[in-house]
Parts: sequence; C-alpha cells; structure tokens
Amino acid sequence: MPRTTTVDCPGCPPLRALTFDALGLIKVIEAREKGGGVAKVVERWGDPDASKCVLAASMNDRKIDPLLAVARKNGVIEILNPLNGELSRTVSDVSNAGVRPEDDAIVGLHLSCTLLTCKTKGNARIKTVDLADTQADSGAPKTWNVCGSGNILFSEVDGSESYALFGGKGVEVNMWDLENCTKIWTAKPPPANSLGIFTPTWFTSATFLGKDDHRKVVAGTNNHQVRLYDISAQRRPVVSFDFRETPIKAVAEDLDGHTVYIGNGSGDLASVDIRTGKLLGCFLGKCSGSIRSIARHPELPVIASCGLDSYLRIWDIGTRQLLSSVFLKQHLTKVVFDTNFTEEVKHVAADLALHEAQSIGEIETADETEKPAMKRKKSSSKENKEGKKKNKSSKEKEGIKKLKSKKRSKNQEHDIAAADDA
Amino acid sequence: MGGKRKTNENEGMEGEEDSKHNIKKMKKEKSEILPSSIKNKEKRSAVHAKLKHQKKLDKRKKLKARDAAAKLALELGEEPPPKQIPRTIENTREADETVCMPDDEELFAGNDADEFSAVLKQDRTPKILITTCRFNSTRGPAFITELLSVIPNSHYYKRGTYDLKKIVEYANNKEFTSIIVVHTNRREPDALLIIGLPDGPTAHFKLSSLVLRKDIKNHGNPTSHEPELVLNNFTTRLGHRIGRLIQSLFPQSPNFRGRRVVTFHNQRDFIFFRHHRYIFETKEIKQSESKGKKAKDTKGESISKEKVIARLQECGPRFTLKLVSLQHGTFDTRGGEFEWVHKPQSQHVFRSRGKIHDHPCGRSCVNSPSEHMLLRCGWIRDIWFGGCYGPKFNREKLLLISGC
Repeated sequence: MPRTTTVDCPGCPPLRALTFDALGLIKVIEAREKGGGVAKVVERWGDPDASKCVLAASMNDRKIDPLLAVARKNGVIEILNPLNGELSRTVSDVSNAGVRPEDDAIVGLHLSCTLLTCKTKGNARIKTVDLADTQADSGAPKTWNVCGSGNILFSEVDGSESYALFGGKGVEVNMWDLENCTKIWTAKPPPANSLGIFTPTWFTSATFLGKDDHRKVVAGTNNHQVRLYDISAQRRPVVSFDFRETPIKAVAEDLDGHTVYIGNGSGDLASVDIRTGKLLGCFLGKCSGSIRSIARHPELPVIASCGLDSYLRIWDIGTRQLLSSVFLKQHLTKVVFDTNFTEEVKHVAADLALHEAQSIGEIETADETEKPAMKRKKSSSKENKEGKKKNKSSKEKEGIKKLKSKKRSKNQEHDIAAADDA
Repeated sequence: MGGKRKTNENEGMEGEEDSKHNIKKMKKEKSEILPSSIKNKEKRSAVHAKLKHQKKLDKRKKLKARDAAAKLALELGEEPPPKQIPRTIENTREADETVCMPDDEELFAGNDADEFSAVLKQDRTPKILITTCRFNSTRGPAFITELLSVIPNSHYYKRGTYDLKKIVEYANNKEFTSIIVVHTNRREPDALLIIGLPDGPTAHFKLSSLVLRKDIKNHGNPTSHEPELVLNNFTTRLGHRIGRLIQSLFPQSPNFRGRRVVTFHNQRDFIFFRHHRYIFETKEIKQSESKGKKAKDTKGESISKEKVIARLQECGPRFTLKLVSLQHGTFDTRGGEFEWVHKPQSQHVFRSRGKIHDHPCGRSCVNSPSEHMLLRCGWIRDIWFGGCYGPKFNREKLLLISGC
C-alpha cells in the first residue's frame, strides 16, 4: 500500500558538499537557510573532458588552509583549494611510465599532510605534500606493493593516519602500518559453505568503524555481503550478513561507532547496526542508480549519497527522510562534505541544536530501541531547553493523528490536491 | 428467554430513541449524509437519485450563468471572462529537471564520451548479433526473422547452451557492436535485452503486444535500404541514453530512396515500435469544403492549391517496450551495477495524488522547430531525431527525394 499522505520535508541544514563526476567536473553544492534548505549547485570547476574523469578524491578538512586532492583518469593528481577551486599543484606519476594510466588507475587517495595513493595493480605510495615549496621533490616518496595479484578496488586510512586498509578483487582485506610500511593483518576468506561452494574474494569497499579505533573494520563484498572484522580477535569476520541482491558498492561509518551506512548496486541505501548485523532501516526515495559514494557529515545529522543516477541526495539519519536532491547530469563518483562552511556562524550552531533535538524527538516517538544511548545523553540538556517547542509540535502531531480515519484522510488528500492545483 | 426478549425490547426502544435522535441530526446535516451510509437500498437509491438530480440542476444553472455572463460581456463590448482550462494528465505533470536542453554543453561532452559515440560518429559500422533464450519456438523465430529485416547488418546466431557472458565475449572478438537477446516465455516473446559492446550498457526491456507482419492488414514488405530512424520523445537524461542505445543499432546514413522509416515513440515510459514505408503524394485541394474547415484552411490555400500528403504503409512487426533496468557495463545480473532500475514501490511513495510524476524516459518534446515531412501525418506531432539534436531534415531536401 503506497503512502497516501505527504510528509513535509524540513529541508537541509546549511551545508556545503563537493561532488566529482565522470566528466572530471567538480561541483559545489550548498544549502542555505535562506533558500528554505534546498541544495543548489553554486559553482562548477573544470571543463567537461572524459579523460579527466575523477576516480578518487580526498579532502583535508581543516580550518586553516584546507586542501583537496583529486585523482583523474589520465593519471594526474591535482591538489586544489576547496574554497575557490584554484589549482595549487599537480602531481603526476612518473614511477611507471611504461604503463598507460588507464590500465593502472588510481583507486585510493588520502590527503592529510601526506598524500597516499594506491593503484589498481597494488602500487601504494606515500608522499609528503608541502605547499610552501613548489618543488616536486620534498622528500623521497615511500612506495611499496600491497598485493601480488588481483586488483585493488579501495584503500582507506584510519583517523590517526597510521594505518591503511586495502582490498579488492582477489585481494583479501589487509591492513598496513604506514610508518614502516609493513603488513600487520590480513583477513581470511570464510570457509566453503555446506554445498562446498567457495565464493571468490571480491571486496568492493571498506571503512574503519571508529575514528580512533583502527581495529574494527567493516567491508562490503561483491556478493552482497557486509562483514565486520576485528583484527584483535580473529582473521575471519566477526559478523557477516547479506544485504539485498546486488553488490555492496559503498560503506560509510557513523560517528557513534556502531551504525554503518551501506549502498548497493541497484540504489538501495540502508543503515545497519553492525554489532548485531540488524537492519535499522532503509533510506526510501526514488534512488534508482548504483550508489558509488556515501559521506557522513561530521557535525550535522546528515548523510549524502551519490552514484550512477547522477543525483546527489541528502538524507536525515534520524528519520531517514530525503532532505534534498540535486540533479548533476553526470555519473557521480564521489561526494565530500566541507565542514568549515559557515553561512552565519551563530545561525548554524542554533540550527544544529534545534535540528538534533527535533530529530531525536521524532525518533523517540517512532521507535525507541533504534536510538543509540550515547546521543540521547548528549542532547538531553538541549531537549529540556527545547521542551516548550516540542510540546507544541507534539500537540500538532496528535491533531494529525486524530484525523487519520480513512475517510477523513481521503478528504484531506483531496484538499491537498485541490490546493496544489490552485 | 423472557429476559432476553426484554433486553431486546429495551434495545429496540433505545434504537427508536436513537433513530429519533438521528432524524433530528439528519435534519441538521441532511446535506452532509452520504447515500452510501444508508443501509436501506430503496432509501439509498432514492437519496442518491435526488442528490444526482440536484447536482445536475446546479450544474445547468452554473453553465447558464456563465454563458449569460459571457454574452453580456460580448454585448457590452467587454472582455469575456477567461475560458477555463481543463486539467489533463499532460498539463498537470510536474516539471522534470532531467530533461535535456539543447544548450547544455555538459550533455554534448557526455555524448562524446559515452559508449555509443564511436558508432554514432560513424567510426564503426553497427553490426548486430541477434540471439534468443535457451528455448525458443513459434513466435520467437518469426519475430527474429522480422527483426533481421528491420535492422540492417544483423546476424542471427543460435543460442545453443552458451552463457550470455560467453556470447558477449565471442561477439566482442568478432567486433559486433551490439547484441539483442529475444527472450520468450511460453512460446511468446516477452523480453528484449540490448547489450552495447564492448563495454556499453545493458538495457532490459519488457516486450508486449507484439503483432507480427502477417497479422497486420494491408502490410507492406520492407526493402533492404537503410531505414530512417525516428526517435520520438526521448527527452530526459535516461531517455536520451536509451535513445542513443537504440540509435546505435541502426546505420547512421539512411538511404532516403528506400522511404523506410523505423519509429520508436516514447509515451509515458512505453516505447512503441513501428515500421513503415512512406510515400509523398501531391493532391489538389478540393474547393468545395465545409465552411468550418475553410476558415482554417484559407492560409494554406493562399500559398498553394496543391498539397503534399505523406501516406504510410505499415510493414514489419509492431511491439511495445518498457524499460525494466539499465545496467552499467555488459550483462552481469549478480555483480552488475545499475544506472537505473524500475522500482515499483519507491516510484510511488512520494507521489501526491492528482499529479503525475514525470516518467523517466521522457515527456512530450521540447518545442523544437520540426522540419520533417512526416509531421504531416496525423499521428506524429513532434519528431526528435536522436543524437545531438540532429540530423534534422530540410523540407526542400525531402521534397527533392520524393520527386525523384
């Protein structure tokens, strides 16, 4: 039975996101308080060129002097200023000149004070990037080989930036210590099932579960499995469960350390409690194309997803409601949040508090088991402050509930339709 | 028993009292009671008839008042009140942001970069492999023979017991540009799979209402000339992509001598396939026409008294396609990444009644100047030739062709 009543959309909180697409364009999307929380494309950097297709991107999201690294299909890594799109320098790979850049594409990129790149064939490289001296060689880059065979499909760096995670088609998830470039852990494939069928390893995405804890890793596989690895416990997955029928294409962690967002090849996006492997809920919308990237906003309760249906979608994580969607014309490969975006500083903070309180209130009414305990404690003080407002809103809700007999809702609907037509 | 009867009586009494109350209430809100809530059929139908009659009277009164107002305005020389516009499915549709606009540079850059550009720029000649599902009989082979006559340079290969992935590999080695798989179920073709090669997308269509050539009355037999292609209404981004996929099946240089036209007309997500031969005829306009028509035709008469008419003869199969999924890369159902999947549930979740969301493949054409002669056929309104909003046809050119 399709939903017959419309849910009003609260709109996006003020935020700024960058998307990268198949034609090498970088688009800046901003949502502002003034526009009613509708996200819009503000800027477009670069010219459409298929050879400049963005394969990976990473942003160094600091307050002063942020940097953005973009790996392109033609083997060039560009380092940009994420505020105005100015190209500050380019890093091209000279290490293997014999191979065409299309054959050995860059799959992973991480930018902090150093730049970690990883290629399909398994060549990982750490290089210091210093803007002060524009000379190419500022310290010899560390290079090593991650895998002997197979294709690397992703690389991730943990919060403390001392461990990196690699995996791919035919490559088990493995963890490397970045300081001395040694492999510290590899996963072990699960045993053959009761029919004796062994599924070949094919990891498509992975993420560290917590920001400060490098020991827990969530990985998604091509045969629609999501696995939790604990490297301090065992080499086989601790928790493993299936999600739908198409390959998992993107995995992103939440700040609370146990919620994970997964997106798959047919456009299903869901949040999962990884401790139990239980599905918390799906993000329902008209999302119909494969999800390539999910990003969690570090402060606001918002995630963004993008992929082959060329829409950037922004969702509320509490209500799992679609807040805004922007059509960006090309297949998108990556989305990144710019956390330092402030429209009016005070405004944002106030809005944040309000929004959080609201979302929590809604969740409490909806289902209490779902909500992590951590957050409630944090925001309880805010809730008290917002108490009066909440009461009002709850009264309104009751009013709506009373009307929910079938005929009345129908009438209401007609009214809505009439209003719309008018 | 007695006790029970008593209670019944009591209830009856109460019921009477209630009914009295009800009558009072009814008097209060007589107009609000719906006839459907009355349980007695006779009463219900009577009330219903009365309501209906009342409505009819009201409507007549309203119309009369409106006409009178209009008449009065005419007599006084004022502007008549504006005519009301009926709400139709077409004009209540919500605007779609994904409709391609001809001034979009990203669209053209995307076109140059996509999988079909090699074929559409005539760097490669299209070469099509047609095969079937494992079991294939009756209407399946008949449909395939007709497809072979529609699509030039297409070759039928028996399916055998090969995996589709193996067939894709084979076709890549033999430099085919696309594969068409006709899927039959219960001896009736019910799905079409179009795979672009070498790494093009895979489109899965539902195929329905198939009419073969011999079942079409007064059908013609197609010649072996390269057909013209009419792609109609593929306006959204997804539609554009599907349009280009279909376009890449046909050679890009139609032979106008053949006067063969293959039409893919998209309307509300259904793609209608038709295959025609056409001929241009000059006809003199009869002077004795009805007066109503004359007023309209005066313009035409002032220009020329001869009229060119396109006549059509249908040949070849007639079927309807509906897109089920569009997959990135070649056929791979389990490990595939989809660009678009039809999701019946979610498509309707956020739909408000009375409004129809735009269908993903396209809506009615962006009002572009239309120059094709076929526009003179009654059933074609707008034509958009796929690709980069061209090739468009000159009227003069076509007249020349029809002349020779």
